[in-house]
Amino acid sequence: MSYCVNCGVELHKTCSVCPLCNTKVYNPGQPVDKKSPTPFPERRGYTAPARRTDVMLLISIVLAVTAGVCGLLNLFIFQGTHWSLYVIGGCILVWVFCLPIFIHRMNSCLSIALDGAGIVLYFGMIAWLHPGRGWYLSLAFPLTVLATGLILLPAVYVKRFHASILSCSALILGEIAVFTSAVEIFIDLFRQTAPSITWSAIVLTCCIVIDAALITIIRRTRLREEVRRRMHI
Amino acid sequence: MKKRLNTRTAWYRLDLSAIVYPTLQRRNFSSVYRISAVLKETVEADLLQRAVDMTLPRFPAFKVMMRKGVFWRYLEPNDRPGPFVEPDIVNPCMPMSFQGSSRYLIRIYYYQNRISLEVFHSLSDGSGALYLLRTMTAVYLRLKGYKVPVGQGVLDLYEEPDEEELEDAYIRYASSRVRPPRSKEKTYRIRGTREPFYTLNIITGILPVQQVLSVSKQFQVSVTEYLNAVLLYALLKKQEEDHVFRELPVSIAMPVNLRRFFPSKTLRNFITMVYPSIDPRMGSYTFEEILLQVHHYMRYYINSKFLNADITTNAAVTRHPLIRIVPLFFKDFVVRQFYKRVQDKHSSAGLTNLGVVETPEEMRPHIERFDVLMGQPFSARTNCAVISYGDYLSISFASSIVEADVERLFFRKLVQDGIHVKIESNRNTEAE
Repeated sequence: MSYCVNCGVELHKTCSVCPLCNTKVYNPGQPVDKKSPTPFPERRGYTAPARRTDVMLLISIVLAVTAGVCGLLNLFIFQGTHWSLYVIGGCILVWVFCLPIFIHRMNSCLSIALDGAGIVLYFGMIAWLHPGRGWYLSLAFPLTVLATGLILLPAVYVKRFHASILSCSALILGEIAVFTSAVEIFIDLFRQTAPSITWSAIVLTCCIVIDAALITIIRRTRLREEVRRRMHI
Repeated sequence: MKKRLNTRTAWYRLDLSAIVYPTLQRRNFSSVYRISAVLKETVEADLLQRAVDMTLPRFPAFKVMMRKGVFWRYLEPNDRPGPFVEPDIVNPCMPMSFQGSSRYLIRIYYYQNRISLEVFHSLSDGSGALYLLRTMTAVYLRLKGYKVPVGQGVLDLYEEPDEEELEDAYIRYASSRVRPPRSKEKTYRIRGTREPFYTLNIITGILPVQQVLSVSKQFQVSVTEYLNAVLLYALLKKQEEDHVFRELPVSIAMPVNLRRFFPSKTLRNFITMVYPSIDPRMGSYTFEEILLQVHHYMRYYINSKFLNADITTNAAVTRHPLIRIVPLFFKDFVVRQFYKRVQDKHSSAGLTNLGVVETPEEMRPHIERFDVLMGQPFSARTNCAVISYGDYLSISFASSIVEADVERLFFRKLVQDGIHVKIESNRNTEAE
């Protein structure tokens, strides 16, 4: 039997280092037994994915029936306008939003992209029913695409780079600044006035100041560690 | 006369403790604990499966699945095939999905000489699960050809389950007319590097019971009080080593088995928590002072009156008409937030002592010891679980952080007090 020279505890014969203090076991009288079974196996366990077919079936049927019944009502009874298209479009949109519930470990980026595409198409359908003053192409479409892209960016960033909370916060603040400015510019373009930044400049300034502080903290190791310690992150 | 259970139509409300655990369920966390019996010979998987199949019908409290109602969750008898025994894994107490594994909320593993039972905490506490493990082990030994009688924790398979085994004993005994306020003070949290998902670090110390008893006797305290004091001492040392900006009290969440004070045969949860603590802001404590503090705390709080007041507070929450009509998803949200932001911060670590395990004398030559593992901690910290059988006392730490500072300080203190400690671990500690 071997004992840890630091901790004074007896170690299992298969232990090559002390699990308490990581001190290497060196016992010329009894070398580490590498043949005997270890106290714990090496096989790693994983939780079986939950079966979601029942929920998927229930939600799909409820949405499909709602859409179908409304379509039939619109076709044969309440025929004034194409009102059922709102309901059918809404049902399809809810179904697309529910995809991550249905599919185990669905790619989050794909899910966000599909959600964005669904919203763009739903707005497109409304624009087809109510063309208005070109609100779809000059306002709804670019802002939805931009918002989807801005949500996708941190998702990819977290997934690819194992980003810290600090760097994620910096990225999200930057995105808020970009989105706010874009909203103001697109509204100006929609109103056919010269694009300018006025009210969004306040948001932009706040975001730049906080981002500058965050980037400084991230770049300075001592500061970063201090913040992590204080904030428990 | 014992009332018979109609398992076809039966459904069970979750008991007072059990309500909380499913609300904390996440993709990477379940309140699962493990009790193991270490035999003196290698376990045969097919015999163990037969033993499980024979034993489980006697324990309707464990042959259930979790269902969601509108206002509360409930348990329903589960007649699906299983649970099936599996070769053991290096990361025990992994999350337990309510839909997977034929919806069973228990798992049975085997490895070398060890039979392990993992239980979702909503079904039962450690004492209840110990009945299932002992009966299962007894049936396994009978299948091996040994004679093992009924009694001392081994239930009779041919006896109808008693209705009292399934009762919510909290409701029966919650009768206090006052509800004492609870401490809301934040405590020291261990700082460490969080391990990746699907990792649970275990360090088990195996101690000779007689040595622990004699050391406790020297200090004129019980074994639980002594081990509590050692863990508080280790946590205080760890806080000192961390050089924290602001010192906080160090506190241990310790479940108390209420069956000792309120007679009940229930196999479901019947525990409440006490929080022995030390506040280093009052001055530095010596080990003897910690021991004295723990000793007096235990004697003052662990008695039928205080415990009754505590469970009455819990019972009052579930009986409140407003709380009863709130939909489940909202209750889940509120309870989860309360646990995360308040309850979990009340303790620096957990310690449970299942005490001395009794078995029929005929089982003793075939069982070396029992181990217990408190399971994955909710937040990054370490949990300690103690159990003793025969000549061995087993102390297992389960932790989700890389550093083993608390465990090291704890076991070194035991060694300093003259106790022989043998360490086993699943930590990946290959020497370079």
